[in-house]
Amino acid sequence: MATQRVVQLVRLGRMPYGTTLKIQNELVQRHLETREQSVSATMGKSSEFQQQLKLKNEHDEILDKLILVEHEPVYTIGKRTKEYTIEERQRLEALGADFYKTNRGGLITYHGPGQLVAYPILNLANYKRSINWYMCTLTKTIIGTCRQFNIEASSSSDVGVWVGNNKICAMGVHASRFITMHGIALNCNTDMTWFNHIVPCGLVGKGVTSISQELNQNVTIEDAEGPFLKSFSDSFKCEIVEM
Amino acid sequence: MINRSISSTNRLLGARVYAESHEWVLMNENTATVGISDHAQGMLGDVVFVDLPEVGDTAEAGNACATVESVKAASDIYAPVSGEIVEVNTALENEPSLINTSPLDNGWLFKVKVQDGEQLSELKSEDQYLATIEDE
Repeated sequence: MATQRVVQLVRLGRMPYGTTLKIQNELVQRHLETREQSVSATMGKSSEFQQQLKLKNEHDEILDKLILVEHEPVYTIGKRTKEYTIEERQRLEALGADFYKTNRGGLITYHGPGQLVAYPILNLANYKRSINWYMCTLTKTIIGTCRQFNIEASSSSDVGVWVGNNKICAMGVHASRFITMHGIALNCNTDMTWFNHIVPCGLVGKGVTSISQELNQNVTIEDAEGPFLKSFSDSFKCEIVEM
Repeated sequence: MINRSISSTNRLLGARVYAESHEWVLMNENTATVGISDHAQGMLGDVVFVDLPEVGDTAEAGNACATVESVKAASDIYAPVSGEIVEVNTALENEPSLINTSPLDNGWLFKVKVQDGEQLSELKSEDQYLATIEDE
């Protein structure tokens, strides 16, 4: 490959869900604008030039981002809204959590303190134009992260990453012209009682777990970040650069 | 322009034409049936949910107007032509997997009453489309 894939790391720290959603939308928009400009600007130019433009915009900004964030307690649902009523929403908000309907795939999930949330904003044209491939690669990233903690995790037909019958990492994404948003939520030392109020991802009879629970010791987001970034860089074959 | 003459011929022959974003269009008089290509359904994986526009909505060429969900991923589908949505494939509500099993026939998404036939000249013939996905 002529051009090295590069992804810029964006650490947001602790931030409410709604603010992060705006940032994601803004970064997706930058991709789409650059894409439109490059379609007209690269007519007749070499393919290497086109490749450059996909990676960076006119301000030499790296467009592919990897957002890391920790949310305040929030329940979110995806495109499939049928089974979630106003009463259900009010019940969850009464627990002290926010509630958002989003454009991602998947059903209800919880985000909150102690959970490593990662939102890759990638143009899959720089990788492989397949959402199926993308989800498999995200899954590999999490399995590889768990392995560094000596946790044997696996994928399943229900998507997400599992330790036995318990989900350790939820996944849900949106793609628009192969630009991705939303992403993964890996439980590090999450207060797991928040999950008792919902059927995570609509899967009846399955449980949830965290890295801390599996190892029976406190593992923080900060502990998990390094292993996650290493695994992401290995699975996506990209270089991750700090801002 | 060569492209235009190929597309016009296809339109007359009732052959599918394709958008760069992997949707196909099949014309019947001035109504366009829209679906996604076999290549696209393969790249999505098993479809579990389809969010369709409503009859009476206005589709704008190049704008997102439906979503398909596969493997916990929601992907936007773009209208290849502009016009009023006159029919949607309600069979997909109960059987979204039709998109995987029959992307070019029973898995069609919606029908658009086309305002501007010129937009069809922007689309590719099946051969042209297949050539563009070869190196992906």
